[in-house]
Amino acid sequence: MKKHDLRRRIMKNKAIYLMILPGLLYFVLFKYFPMWGLVISFQEYRPYDGILGSDWVGFKHYQRLFTEPMFWTIFRNTIILFLMNLIFFFPVPIILAILLNEVRLQAFKRFVQTIVYIPHFMSWVIIVSISFVMVTMDGGMINEGLDAMGMQKINFLLSDEWFRPMYIVQVIWREAGWGTIVYLAAIAAIDPQLYEASRMDGANRFRQIWHITLPSIRSVIVILLILKIGDVLELGFEHVYLLLNAMNRNVAEIFDTYVYTAGLKQGQFSYSTAVGFFKSFVGLVLVMSANWLAKKFGEEGVY
Amino acid sequence: MRKKQAATTFRVLCTTTLAGCILAGCASGSGVNEGSATSGTNQGGAPTSETQAPFKLTIMTNLHTPEVPTDAIEKMLEEKTNTDLTINWVPDGSYEEKLNSSFATGSLPQAVYMKNQTTYILFRDAIRNNQFWEIGPFIKDYPNLSKLDELVVKNTAVDGKTYAIYQERPLSRQGIIFRKDWADKLGLAAPKTTDELYNMLKQFKEGDPDGNGKADTMGLTDRSDLVYGAFKTVASYFGTPNNWGLADGKLQPEFMFPQYKETMDFFKKLYDEGLINKDFPVTSKEDQQNLVITGKAGMYIGSMADVQSLHQKTVEINPNALYDVANHISGPDGNAGIWSIPGYGNLVLFPKSSVKSEEELKSILAFFDKLMEPELANLVKWGVPDKHYTIVEGGLVQKAEDTKMTDREQKPYEILQVGGESTIDMLRAYNKLPAKAKAEELIIENNSMLINDPTAALDSKTFGLKGVELQQIINDATYRYILGNLDAAGFDGEIERWKKGGGESIIAEYNESLAKSQ
Repeated sequence: MKKHDLRRRIMKNKAIYLMILPGLLYFVLFKYFPMWGLVISFQEYRPYDGILGSDWVGFKHYQRLFTEPMFWTIFRNTIILFLMNLIFFFPVPIILAILLNEVRLQAFKRFVQTIVYIPHFMSWVIIVSISFVMVTMDGGMINEGLDAMGMQKINFLLSDEWFRPMYIVQVIWREAGWGTIVYLAAIAAIDPQLYEASRMDGANRFRQIWHITLPSIRSVIVILLILKIGDVLELGFEHVYLLLNAMNRNVAEIFDTYVYTAGLKQGQFSYSTAVGFFKSFVGLVLVMSANWLAKKFGEEGVY
Repeated sequence: MRKKQAATTFRVLCTTTLAGCILAGCASGSGVNEGSATSGTNQGGAPTSETQAPFKLTIMTNLHTPEVPTDAIEKMLEEKTNTDLTINWVPDGSYEEKLNSSFATGSLPQAVYMKNQTTYILFRDAIRNNQFWEIGPFIKDYPNLSKLDELVVKNTAVDGKTYAIYQERPLSRQGIIFRKDWADKLGLAAPKTTDELYNMLKQFKEGDPDGNGKADTMGLTDRSDLVYGAFKTVASYFGTPNNWGLADGKLQPEFMFPQYKETMDFFKKLYDEGLINKDFPVTSKEDQQNLVITGKAGMYIGSMADVQSLHQKTVEINPNALYDVANHISGPDGNAGIWSIPGYGNLVLFPKSSVKSEEELKSILAFFDKLMEPELANLVKWGVPDKHYTIVEGGLVQKAEDTKMTDREQKPYEILQVGGESTIDMLRAYNKLPAKAKAEELIIENNSMLINDPTAALDSKTFGLKGVELQQIINDATYRYILGNLDAAGFDGEIERWKKGGGESIIAEYNESLAKSQ
């Protein structure tokens, strides 16, 4: 009976269901079917023998990963960079959007908005190269400035301590402006009557932000937060790889860069697939717990 | 910039799932190559016949210039060899990963260049697993290929069998390039010992060699490369073995020798006293050369042949600049040495996944045989006469001045060359620039003091598997030692880490392989 219903519903709205098809195909073809490839992490995969011809080795590659001395360093680095993203980067677009919203001069608002967007369209190579030129020891702007003020030059590029600040500053520099788009849209959707009413009651600008703007965009913030946690370990391979060097490897090596060196540069396909699988697994656990937490706090969550 | 390309390629493979997709794709058959393979078999058998339709050949090779070249030379090659060529140019910087991913997906073309010895060694395992054609038995049938140097061919062999055609390289081009005008001004002669080398660098920094009254010069420029940068070359002045050396009859990696530490101390001194660019562990080759070209630094250690391009670019800024080259620097023990490569640079392999039959292989070999005829060898090496070069006194070649034009039209094709001057009767270079002429002399002179890599023809399975990853431990430790981030005990600790991570097996396997070969 129920089945019959469903079919009738589909037939009735077939145009709409047809529109799902490309998306569905995309996921099946590019997301679900490829998961088959994960089996090579349980094999001694040799490209020329293919998946069917390679020998099974069970958890060997996972064992190697967990016993690798670098493992905990990589794990820690990945998590720390992720947390920094969450703590330092995530709020920036929200703050920026609220500030922009308070600007009453439309022309100026648009101008600033455009300026802060632009870095998003530059590749990491450009961003990193610009910072390189700025902070290099041999004639870099910042170091020359420090020198002129009689201070010690700082070796930003070749030190453990400066990698993380540099990383997060570059992330904010490139992505903060772009991140404001969604929030600005959400803010624009707030009923202006609410503001009028609050002004009547004598609320100042800060009160309005705190009691109207923020609560109104709360659900958007939560959804974006969960999505952000979804890319938990996608810290930007390109970015980190460009900053990585012998002197900061202890804090800068993350799963993505490790997969690259172990997998592509040395052709250890099985091992790097195991590393990648582990990474995805951690990501899944984090998203599910974030979603669960969101629901606990009465929000909708993403699923 | 090259990293960008690397990264984009990587993005495709980045997530496990996607990588899996590509790998899964290859399991279901190597459809990619069928087109070229069948056409190859059709043509096989009578490779030299001119009346036949052109033989289709795809080649993958590395590209050293920023742009893919124009196809004028390719057209001429096609015409002269009756071949329909498709050359897949891959930027040098991302060549290894392209090689690995093409191999994994079974989409290697019919002839594959290996870039260098290191990349080649990573493929030994696949070669043993019968993934590439053994060409040893066929070579003697080809008049030119059979002229290839037996000793070098032996260096390329895997388990005594020949799989590759090699490209000849001088055994060692390494040496010093320095600003002669600066040295003259300071009254310094070309360095003969490592102490004099140090002294020159010190004077270059402190003696105001550019005469502008400001302390804005430095000595050496180096880049993030411990092998082709300055480090390994200076290490051979100190008598460090080349990758591996014998101690009490046993093979040991270079970094376990005291000379390696002496070299590190030398560099540490340079770093501490500011005689070398402070950011050298992250400096690119381009930035490194720019420091010399713009007159900020006075010395460059690397391939002496680079003096030509350095000179050209420097005189555009400062017409009075003058370069000189030097080598034969003796270390504290009074001996001089220079590390060498095993006589080959690039190599060509023929994958079985794309070359389906012996006939096809023979046709391909016939193409490379023709490439070794003087006419074609000159075409790929020098280009078109009166366009890319002119013949001057004594029948020598003078290259065209317009390097932008030659970079675009001719230079990339040099990579196709097989064999070289000692196996082909080809045109030789005339050097208008005295420093370049001297560099060529010194490159030959280097042959008298070579430090060879004793493991060149040996084999270690663990090295093939984890060698690169392990080497990174040592490279990192070397940089950290030089920058004062690690002391001698710490460096020894890193060696222990290298040993535990698989280095012990590498040592054992190489020694075993050595015992077997004796």
